[in-house]
Amino acid sequence: MIRVLFFGPVADCIGARQIELPYRDGLRWQDVRNELQPRHPEAFALVSIVAVNGERVRDEEGAPLADGAEVVFMSSFSGG
Amino acid sequence: MGAAVRLQLEDFSQDEEIRALRATSQRIGGIATFLGCARDFSEGREVCEIGFDAYRPMALAELEKLRAEAIARFALIEARIVHRLGAVRAGDNIVFIATGAEHRAPALDACRWLIDELKARVPIWKKEITPSGEAWVTPHP
Repeated sequence: MIRVLFFGPVADCIGARQIELPYRDGLRWQDVRNELQPRHPEAFALVSIVAVNGERVRDEEGAPLADGAEVVFMSSFSGG
Repeated sequence: MGAAVRLQLEDFSQDEEIRALRATSQRIGGIATFLGCARDFSEGREVCEIGFDAYRPMALAELEKLRAEAIARFALIEARIVHRLGAVRAGDNIVFIATGAEHRAPALDACRWLIDELKARVPIWKKEITPSGEAWVTPHP
């Protein structure tokens, strides 16, 4: 299982803070995005930062996810 | 006293944070602080409350990294960072940063650097609650 988390404006836009997707061999975070983006285009229009297991990942970084991985799609931060 | 880096729902005491910072070493000759608080007016609208959401484990880890980086980069003796989450009413405290160094310049420089980096790197989001509705805040440069 892959746990996908949302916070702040992205969570509000999706209407959920967590979605679980089935794990499959070779799955990358980009595949997760490609699966969810068409269902939530407005939310993903806000996404500019992605983290896998608590670490930021760049667009070109596409190592396969492990079963149980946590993927987070985030908008720009506004703390402070 | 709590940890040097914290995310918490409740308010904090600036005096207690500074006391904890000073208690770490008598080599500290300069302490700089930054206090961020909730304005009651933003973008032409009255603001009653600000709501903070965070990806908590990553936010805490990033704050820890920022503190360690600031200590190394500015040769600080100690630094503390506290950020509130949840609902913060207008006029209340949001974030407190305190930096201690042998001299004032690195303490002041580090304090400014820490709040700027916090805004860019720590996964926290701010929503302004106004009499006419709610809106997530777009980051300011």
